[in-house]
Amino acid sequence: MFFKKKQKQIAEKIESGKMANSPFSLMNQRFRRNRMAVWSLRFLYLLFFVAIFADFIANEKPVYCKLDGKVYFPVMRQYLVDLGLDHWEARFFQNDWDEHAYEAVIFPPIPYSSKTIDGKNRGYTGPFDEQKISSLRYRHWLGTDNLGHDVAAGMVSGTRTAMLVGIISMSIASFIGILLGALAGFFGDDRFRMNPFSIPIYIGALLLGWFYAFMARGYVLSEAAREGGLAKELFISFLIFGFALLLAKLATLFIGKIPALNKKVKIPLDLIIMRTVEVLNSIPGFLLLLSIVGVLQQGSIFVVMAIIGLIRWTGIARFLRAELLRIRNLEYIESARAMGFSNLRILFRHALPNALTPVLIAISFGVASSILLESALSFLGFGIGEETVTWGNLLSAARKYPGAWWLALFPGGAIFVTVTVFNLIGEGLTNALRND
Amino acid sequence: MSITSARIASLTHMFSYLTNRIALFIPTLLLASMLTFGLSKLAGGDPVLDYLGSDPFGTVTDAPHLLRAENIYRRAAHKLSLDRPAFYFSFTSQAYPDTLHKILLKQRRETAEKLIAQYGNWPQIEAYLHSLRNMEIETRSLPDSLASAATPVNIPLQDLYIDYKNKTIENRLAEIGQVVFKNKKLAAFLGSPFNDLKNKYAAVISEATPGKLKIPAVRWHGTGNQYHIWISNFVKGNFGISTFDQRPVTAKLAPAIFWTLAVNISAILLAFLISVPLGVWSAARKGSRFDKTTTVGLFMLYSLPAFWIGTMLLIFFTTKEYGMPFFAGPGLGEVPSAAPWWEKLWSAMPHLFLPVICVTYPALAFITRQVRGSMVNVLGQEYIKTARAKGLSEKKVIWKHGFRNALSPIITMLASVFPAAIAGSVVIEVIFNIPGMGWLTYGAILQKDWPVVFAVMMLGSVLTVVGILVSDVLYAITDPRVRFGK
Repeated sequence: MFFKKKQKQIAEKIESGKMANSPFSLMNQRFRRNRMAVWSLRFLYLLFFVAIFADFIANEKPVYCKLDGKVYFPVMRQYLVDLGLDHWEARFFQNDWDEHAYEAVIFPPIPYSSKTIDGKNRGYTGPFDEQKISSLRYRHWLGTDNLGHDVAAGMVSGTRTAMLVGIISMSIASFIGILLGALAGFFGDDRFRMNPFSIPIYIGALLLGWFYAFMARGYVLSEAAREGGLAKELFISFLIFGFALLLAKLATLFIGKIPALNKKVKIPLDLIIMRTVEVLNSIPGFLLLLSIVGVLQQGSIFVVMAIIGLIRWTGIARFLRAELLRIRNLEYIESARAMGFSNLRILFRHALPNALTPVLIAISFGVASSILLESALSFLGFGIGEETVTWGNLLSAARKYPGAWWLALFPGGAIFVTVTVFNLIGEGLTNALRND
Repeated sequence: MSITSARIASLTHMFSYLTNRIALFIPTLLLASMLTFGLSKLAGGDPVLDYLGSDPFGTVTDAPHLLRAENIYRRAAHKLSLDRPAFYFSFTSQAYPDTLHKILLKQRRETAEKLIAQYGNWPQIEAYLHSLRNMEIETRSLPDSLASAATPVNIPLQDLYIDYKNKTIENRLAEIGQVVFKNKKLAAFLGSPFNDLKNKYAAVISEATPGKLKIPAVRWHGTGNQYHIWISNFVKGNFGISTFDQRPVTAKLAPAIFWTLAVNISAILLAFLISVPLGVWSAARKGSRFDKTTTVGLFMLYSLPAFWIGTMLLIFFTTKEYGMPFFAGPGLGEVPSAAPWWEKLWSAMPHLFLPVICVTYPALAFITRQVRGSMVNVLGQEYIKTARAKGLSEKKVIWKHGFRNALSPIITMLASVFPAAIAGSVVIEVIFNIPGMGWLTYGAILQKDWPVVFAVMMLGSVLTVVGILVSDVLYAITDPRVRFGK
């Protein structure tokens, strides 16, 4: 057992030694030559850093403080409190954080959180205006809004929202896009064969699974959604659904054993999937998003991310399909086929790893467009609830009070820079993949 | 091959190509319409109450009043064809009756559905709900002397229409029972209807048939369903009635479409006028400083969010705040309502300047990039070298030999840019307060005026599909390879 593991490690090392001329590392070398793209990538790391450590960058609570001989880490502790594992002593919610007589304290660089209301500097105080502050540390470097929220803190919180939207919506889109693109590209119209008798079995199983998992349990699920425990009930529902599909699979195996029913026909997977892509592309995405979020009323960031993911996978699928249509005719795939490997094994172990790099292009442009989409949505006041600060809803505050140029300049600039960074990375990848 | 047979071959190829593309029309519109229709079912609130504007049940005091309110509601529901099944077929469990849509009040229908989901015995539940209504009528038609004694009954009775949990229903029944039997005179009037209600509810519990909930049932409703009526009205150009001001949606859309088209057509024309020469020039001077600056500049322009630029232009150049009120502010100013369209456009011109810029520049950036790419591609071909070798002037080489061949992807872009611009102009219209389609949609969502929202969404899909189709036709006309089926 032990030796096997070691052997595998060595094999991996040898493989990674060869990596130097793999398509990925070649592309990496070409990408490195494009300085704009490299700097964009570095800036992206900075954005990730801000998004991940947002609470340590802009917070009214100190990162570390010593009070009456006791040491506290209030920012860290807030995570525990949010999880219900801890609670604040009375004095921490009786007094504001800047009122304690600390023996030692380290405040975050921006001593406000996006929700802190600075009553003394309300009513759109500009960055260059006179501010009522006790020391320079408390200056609102990017101004405040009508209620006295610090714009700089809002920008930090907005970075987190934007990154979250970009990454999660594109993860959903990548999952769907890679799956469908791989099926369409690898199998094309000619290589996917299926027993015609198993098609009605699968359709029936889908319908019955849907019925028993979700419709017959609809009341249980809706009550769970109201009173908690939805995750568990949903898990049971998915188990039932999976079981129905498993039964269908067993039934088709059984059918395959009967010689009279054992036939195979070609399923034009490529045609079906590409038609779906075209149909989906013809539906105006922004209008759809706007209507769905409007109808659902209680919009949340996750609904917005899910919808963006569900409508923006087509680009990824197309990229991957085109790449796989090329790869599947290469000799090494042919030889894998000749060795008798199953289609799925060839697809996942041999074809897909070599086809995934171009998908990065589609993903990085996709992140840019979904950040843009979300900020346009929250600019209009839809989608994400009031309590989440986004660049879009900061920017929309500038419309109400034209004098507040800082509310227009900074959040809009942040959207612009982020979108440009992702577009530049996408450009860089495109050029790196082009063999010239 | 003679010339005529070649032409026939090309026509048949083009015909099959186009029918192939038109075939896409149907699934797209089907999906868009189903999405829209599904959304309309998801929308919260009662569409009949939205349509009526006020709740006819809100002011009910006595039995005739109640019956009248029910009548008003029924008529409105019939007019909106909400008294019909939702779709061609339904896929539910055996426990649900195929006549559930006959319960008109959305709230009561939802209660009935939840009761069925628990007990699965529709006949008993129907009897219970019937008895509940009977009880309400009896309570409403009490003589005046007893009405005040019966008022504590009203609230739990109304609550019973919403309650579906056994515990709460039993509590409410006990509450009502206490009031009814405390007063002997009241008991004489309400005793028997109350006992009936209680017995009917007991029957729901005792004669439950949860097994029926586990048997799937598919029911066919035919074409007399809500979706069918909605989509056939849409095809006929009847988009329904706005629930906000009771005007036909078509009447609200027509002026909105005018302003949206005014902004978008001028923006796209402007974009093409600038971007075609720009793209051709920078492709002809590929690698020069001019090319590099335009490429970087256009890339930046492409990444600039239009709603940011719109907001900045609005606050810096239309307000006196910064001493630069060069342009007219949001809105259209005084537009003569009865004037012909060109006069309307003329009077709104100063207000349209900034929005047109905001729609133009992203399209400009996109088109220029495409034109440049297409031209670079063409200029690298052998026949351009030949043309140069022949001693033709550079101008002739670029425009006559190069540009002509780069033209077909450029023309096809015209059709695909258009739908994108319309969707993108939603935010611009809202920023600059232009009463176009986007502005209308935005307002309609805020007012929960769903018929308008759904009509715009459907129109948007139709426009997009038509745009794609037009671009395909243009492509087929300009590119001989398509015509000859290669």
